[in-house]
Amino acid sequence: MRSPALSRDRLHILIAVADRERHGYAILQDVRDRTDGQVLLSPSTLYSAIKRLLDEGLIEELDERPDPDHDDERRRYYRITKAGRHAVAEEARRLQQLLADARATGLLSKRA
Amino acid sequence: MTEDRPRPSRAARLYRRLLRLYPAEFRRAYARELSLVFEDCWRDAASLRQRLGFGLRAMTGVLTEAPKAQKEELDVLRHDIRHAFRYMRKEAATTIAIVALLALGMGSATLIFSFANGLFLRPLPYPDADRLVAVDEYSPTDPHEFGDMSAPNYADVRAGTHLLADIGLYTAGTVTLRGDAPAERVRAGQVTDGVFRVLGVAPVLGHTFTPLEDVAGAPRVAIIGEDLWRSRYGGDPNILGRTLDTGNAVYRIVGVMPASFTFPDRSDVWFPRRLDLANETRTDYNSEVIGRLAPGATVKTATDEVGALLTAIHHAHPDADNGWHARVRPLRDVLTADYRAVVTMLLIAVGLLLFIACTNVSNLLLAKASGRVREMAVRRALGATRSRLVRQLVVESLVLAMAGGSLGVLLAYVGVPALLGLVPVDLPAWMNFAVDGRVLIFAGAVSLVTSLVFGVAPSLGASSGDLTPVLRDGDRAGSHGGGHRLWRNGLVIAEVAISVLLLIGAGLMLRSFVAIRTQVLGYDPAQVLSLVVDYPEKRYPSGAPARALLRELSSRLSSLPGVTSVAFGTGIPLQDGWSRIFTIEGRPVPLEKMPFVNHVVVSPGYFRTLGIPLVRGRDFSDADYQVPHVIVVAQAFAAKYWPGENPIGKRVRFGPPAANGVWHEIVGVVGDTRHGHITGEENPTVYLPYGAYNGEVVPNAVIIKTTADPAALARDARERITAFDSTLAVTAVRSLGEVIDRATWRDRLVAWLVGGFALMALGLAAAGLYGVLAYTVSLQTREIGIRMALGASAGAMRQLLMRRGLALTGIGLGIGLAVAFALVRLLASFLYRVSPTDVLTFTIVPAILLAVGLVASAWPARQATRVDPLVALRHD
Repeated sequence: MRSPALSRDRLHILIAVADRERHGYAILQDVRDRTDGQVLLSPSTLYSAIKRLLDEGLIEELDERPDPDHDDERRRYYRITKAGRHAVAEEARRLQQLLADARATGLLSKRA
Repeated sequence: MTEDRPRPSRAARLYRRLLRLYPAEFRRAYARELSLVFEDCWRDAASLRQRLGFGLRAMTGVLTEAPKAQKEELDVLRHDIRHAFRYMRKEAATTIAIVALLALGMGSATLIFSFANGLFLRPLPYPDADRLVAVDEYSPTDPHEFGDMSAPNYADVRAGTHLLADIGLYTAGTVTLRGDAPAERVRAGQVTDGVFRVLGVAPVLGHTFTPLEDVAGAPRVAIIGEDLWRSRYGGDPNILGRTLDTGNAVYRIVGVMPASFTFPDRSDVWFPRRLDLANETRTDYNSEVIGRLAPGATVKTATDEVGALLTAIHHAHPDADNGWHARVRPLRDVLTADYRAVVTMLLIAVGLLLFIACTNVSNLLLAKASGRVREMAVRRALGATRSRLVRQLVVESLVLAMAGGSLGVLLAYVGVPALLGLVPVDLPAWMNFAVDGRVLIFAGAVSLVTSLVFGVAPSLGASSGDLTPVLRDGDRAGSHGGGHRLWRNGLVIAEVAISVLLLIGAGLMLRSFVAIRTQVLGYDPAQVLSLVVDYPEKRYPSGAPARALLRELSSRLSSLPGVTSVAFGTGIPLQDGWSRIFTIEGRPVPLEKMPFVNHVVVSPGYFRTLGIPLVRGRDFSDADYQVPHVIVVAQAFAAKYWPGENPIGKRVRFGPPAANGVWHEIVGVVGDTRHGHITGEENPTVYLPYGAYNGEVVPNAVIIKTTADPAALARDARERITAFDSTLAVTAVRSLGEVIDRATWRDRLVAWLVGGFALMALGLAAAGLYGVLAYTVSLQTREIGIRMALGASAGAMRQLLMRRGLALTGIGLGIGLAVAFALVRLLASFLYRVSPTDVLTFTIVPAILLAVGLVASAWPARQATRVDPLVALRHD
């Protein structure tokens, strides 16, 4: 079964919660750091995406708990699901294919 | 939450406020997280520029995302509703059954609520009607004696009160309009000027009474209603100053009241109630009093004040101290006092019926839900969250409930006029039972609650649980769940128990109604026509002229074909409530201890016409009408005051001792009758020959015994009277049978309604029982097939299923009987000569329930054992 294409924001969020579970602020930081500040999500964009990802079962919510590194406010943690990994892999393949097509037509240098 | 967390910055507070743009559900789920993330980012922004950039990003984020979320929310709802309609189309039969059940339950509930609304919720048609109060005096020892006030007491209360902003005295009656147009009897109010001020209604023309018009000797004036103004005076714009002729006096019309104003009750004409305090008796409790609470006053403080005033009055006039107290009550409570208990009972009955209907719906949905477990499992496997599925099911229930509710409102809309058509009397004009906004809100709220009651349990069942067995095994895995079966059986037991409750209630009501209708009335109502003749006293003054008129009418009516006897009385049985206090010669009692009797003034032949037997002594003779001061008393009266003694020759007199009335000698004793009202305690009755009573009251009620159908006589009787003199007005032409119908309409209507609800409940319980058993059979077809293939006989299988059905019935019956037994005492006040634990009712109802249970179980059991084992084994 093919999943629908993932938007850039959603893909970034999935990647952020792929290696370990993170809460909302941690996701924003991770995306910012990974993209050198190129992708800055607003809290609203983040949670709209989280809600959709939850609805589609691509991520799951864990129990609320405080972040020991931050303060002792309770936060919700999210983690990628099996379906989420599957979707990311598929999206990556799709991007790879896109990249290959672009190279094949000479639009993109083969080394870039 | 920690206390040391810094107070959110101003930006964070602004951000939080901005989050209100999101739909509530999203906000509930994420608002806190969003604020937390915002505060973290805000704090961590290193520079002012970063901070400004983030702030701008966050705010625009909300402004772009919130509308999207709103739209999504709507889309989901729209989708759910579409899906619900699609599902309903697919399951048309189930849908129709559910909607019909709900319409029945909610229609009954809305119908009864419309009546409750008209009585207790819809404001009375006066401004600030909740400040209106009735003031009356009552006997603290005898609950039957209350309700009126004497004019002198009223005048003293009016002079002394501060907590009643205004106060007025009135009596309701009738008047015959004569003059240019044919004689016409209309309802009239005799009111003091205060009554209009208290009620706060202005005339459409002219003015209401002034204090000057209330005093004795003032010019005669009258106010007419808009309807009468149009019908009798052609809406004459120059009506003010025209006259109104009653044949006894001529009144100048000074005002026209709007059609909506009919106080005290359907009045078309108002006359000033003149207080002639010098000649009014303090113990003559003949008028009603209304008032308006002053700002800041309450019913309680006003009662205290009026109570203190009455105590002072009794101190000042010890001869008028009858020991009664005074009270102030909200006008609406007084007007609706007779209906409160019975409407509450009906509301409970429809509530129970609605619950049974919901139970059946719930059972239907549960049966469907187990079929849908697979659908739900598939959708969950495809990623739908549980809350999303529950929501879908809730939307479905809501759509069903709304459909049922709308039909229910329609039923009420049609049912209210239909039920009112069964009421043989004119209800007070302020009672308005139309379906209004309040009724619609009620229906909406009931739809909502019922959809939760019947819809949520199946939803939770269908969307929960472990999915794997469902996907593997199909429908049966989901439906075999012990939880579902327990729930379904519980519902059927509840249905049976509630129908037992309703049937017991209905049975008792029915028994009570039969007791009312079959009781010994003491007279023979068959083939008796009654009517009231109103004659102008000016033309036929009390005494010889009036007696001559009665004799003339009597002979004219007697000559009608089939008429065997004619008599006059001051009241038609069951419509007469004139009671007076009296003293027995040689046994003086103080005023406050004086008992009441029904006081009936009659013409010769009264007892014969009504078939009241003479027990002792003699009937009135013609001579008695010339030489007054003899009376005939009812048996109960004689037995109460002269037990074991001969009452003939004893003497009594009427009125308070101070009035020093004449002594009347008892010459005869007749059988007891139901004279004043058809149920309840009744005062004993004494009869006076017209002529013996030296007041102004003339017996104007006519009773005619015929050998034919009394209704056929009605027109001729009316014509005979008006042909003799066109100023005579004939009203209330009814057979005594109709009079009894009118006196018992409430008991009849309640018995019918409760009976109808109980029968519906019984039908629903039977259908519920059948449904559950049939469904069980359909699920166990395979098991039954295996057992039968292994040699179990069809009879044994049938017995197994029958046992299950009867067990459910039995448990429900047991619970229902126990609850009924505990609760029936609450019905005692509605019952007449029937014990709340009536053996007959408590025997027949269980028998009916068991029979219904047997039939409802026998059918599915038969079906099951007809199954071909081979087919059953293939059955999935």
